[in-house]
Amino acid sequence: MRNLVVFSGSSHPALVKDICSYLCISPGDAQLTKFKNGETSVTIKDSVRNKDVYVVQSSNGHVNDMFIELLIMISACKSASAKKVTAILPLFPYSRQPDVPFQKAGLPHSQTQPNTPIVNKEAYFNNLSDARSVINFKEQTSNYKEWVVQTGTLIADLLTQSGADHIITMDLHDPQFQGFFDIPVDNLYFKPLLISYITQNVPNYKDSVVVSPDAGGAKRAISIADTLGLNFALIHKERRNIRSAKHASGYSLSASVSSLSLVHDHNANTANANIGKSTSSTTMLVGDVKDRDCIIIDDLVDTSSTVIRAAKILKDQGAKSVVAIITHGVFSGDAIERIKRSNIDKIVVSNSLPQSENVAKFSGSAFEVIDVSRIFGEAVRRIHNGESVSILFDHAL
Amino acid sequence: MKAQSPNSIKVLSGKSHPALANSICDILGIKVSRIMIKRSVNEESVISVGETMRDDDVYIVQTGCGEFEVNDHLMELLMMIRACKSASARKVTVVIPNFPYARQDRKDKSRACITAKLMANLLQTAGADHVITMDLHASQIQGFFTIPVDNLYGEPSVIAYIKENIPYKESIIISPDAGGAKRAASLADKLDLKFALIHKERQKANEVSRMVLVGDVKDKVCIIVDDMADTCGTLAKASDTLLSHGAKKVLAIVTHGILSGNAISNINNSSLDSVVCTNTVPFDSLMDQCPKLKKIDISPTLAEAIRRLHNGESVSYLFTHSAIV
Repeated sequence: MRNLVVFSGSSHPALVKDICSYLCISPGDAQLTKFKNGETSVTIKDSVRNKDVYVVQSSNGHVNDMFIELLIMISACKSASAKKVTAILPLFPYSRQPDVPFQKAGLPHSQTQPNTPIVNKEAYFNNLSDARSVINFKEQTSNYKEWVVQTGTLIADLLTQSGADHIITMDLHDPQFQGFFDIPVDNLYFKPLLISYITQNVPNYKDSVVVSPDAGGAKRAISIADTLGLNFALIHKERRNIRSAKHASGYSLSASVSSLSLVHDHNANTANANIGKSTSSTTMLVGDVKDRDCIIIDDLVDTSSTVIRAAKILKDQGAKSVVAIITHGVFSGDAIERIKRSNIDKIVVSNSLPQSENVAKFSGSAFEVIDVSRIFGEAVRRIHNGESVSILFDHAL
Repeated sequence: MKAQSPNSIKVLSGKSHPALANSICDILGIKVSRIMIKRSVNEESVISVGETMRDDDVYIVQTGCGEFEVNDHLMELLMMIRACKSASARKVTVVIPNFPYARQDRKDKSRACITAKLMANLLQTAGADHVITMDLHASQIQGFFTIPVDNLYGEPSVIAYIKENIPYKESIIISPDAGGAKRAASLADKLDLKFALIHKERQKANEVSRMVLVGDVKDKVCIIVDDMADTCGTLAKASDTLLSHGAKKVLAIVTHGILSGNAISNINNSSLDSVVCTNTVPFDSLMDQCPKLKKIDISPTLAEAIRRLHNGESVSYLFTHSAIV
């Protein structure tokens, strides 16, 4: 294609290779190294003058390094007279960071505080003393509620400031994120590929139940259940008290809610240890899964505790099998080991992040990767040619 | 203009150099503000400010250092600025003694990124109102900002150190490259010493090929002055060159002792008598492995700059005088 260059950051060159082979071009030549003092060095080898430049950088591994590298690459292309620079971030960094982790009552929000184990707030603050020398914070005790950065806006501002003209990403955790940018953002969907995967690879999918592992993902899961005409169930973790089970049932929407079961979950593997007053939380399953095959849908698996907890509840409630289909497989820490030991029969992720190492860790068919390079490749082609991208939102290629 | 009510100073420390923030706060007689900086399991940073910042005069101390953490420190700095800014701080000043990416300050080859300019943009985008830094690699970097930048000098502290610790009357100031000639000449003038220059032919970054000495160093104590010491390969070679020209003793004084790569073994194996660095970059942990390393504490200068800035006094005094604790 004319006047089109696709550069790869150091996070996910394999995906870029696939995108480029879809577009029948070869990836642009960029040398990405580090100086001895740890600063990132970027040299763009191919000319970008008056060209349409795409820089692909996911957010795996050393996220901050990857992000700064992306900013430097964008800036380098921009100052080398590129006509337009588009940043492709298959998984958007910091898209899931809690804006306000502590609610008024001092309770972490189940959805925005994802799996970050907070043991003790005081120890949390003294964390800084890990670094080389000790600062004493202990004397100050106030009731001040911590102020957390609204990283989303910052990340958007930084990308815009470095010279990005357009952003392409996939399955943003919060769709509102698009509004943080003053430049166009194309949020692509994994859903079309996910639907074709289910219809082609899940036997008897018509009898399956689509499950959202938390209330925040309900909308995403319902849209898939509606498209496939399947039943829907929801797992909701309520940390305050059992009474609020009533308003949780309001989530049922069009899906059939045949029974309301309450499961007391004393498993303290989640981020509720700092609540202090009540350590036990209530996990509810809304919907009937008995003797059914369950398909858990979520946008991101990180420490995997959400999805593992969901699988346990589903199996406890008599589910026949549990398959988890998740867009972004981050798998931090010992997530993979925990999934292998869990009730999840199969986990399917996209290659928005490099998954080849994870494939090796799972033996057999318990792990599958869906290739999304076609979606990105087609989006690049359409954006480059000035065609509509909407068709990618609904149809698999 | 409406008179503003007096507000208080808040000093926050990033993870890069808490010791420096601590000693600045000791001098100012305040405590470092509570902040939580954490890397979550997926390696994203989480910042949360534990004190009110409303209408305060906030100073964030973060320096560019760490072989694997430069970008982490940078992101965390940006996030801290934004955190304070969105917590309604009246003014956010970034105290960044060693400015990261200062050497990527020009388009030296095709399609190179002027990363120093990018850094300036990022800091301003995040919400910084003022920048305090020290011995910028090129003072033109100040022009990359549209906000005020106070580029402090390590020189007064270095002069004080030389006068106290070195029999400087028989010394000569050496610039290890042509680029640092101005800095060395200025120091030599202030101490009323002679000065010599080493010209090096560089083939690749971080690698030095051949050195030519301009000036007479016979029987002199040579003080090599530079703004940055990285792998210290250049310093070691310069020292050899000087000794082969009859110098009595060679020591090096640098502002930013980044000491990356195999700097420690380079210094230990070199003919250098000692390497003196200011603490714009933390290197205390390396001092055990390398007895030749010595430290100049510049926290009084930074603390005084913060005090003067907060009170609206002139900072110029610090360009020529070292602050007294």
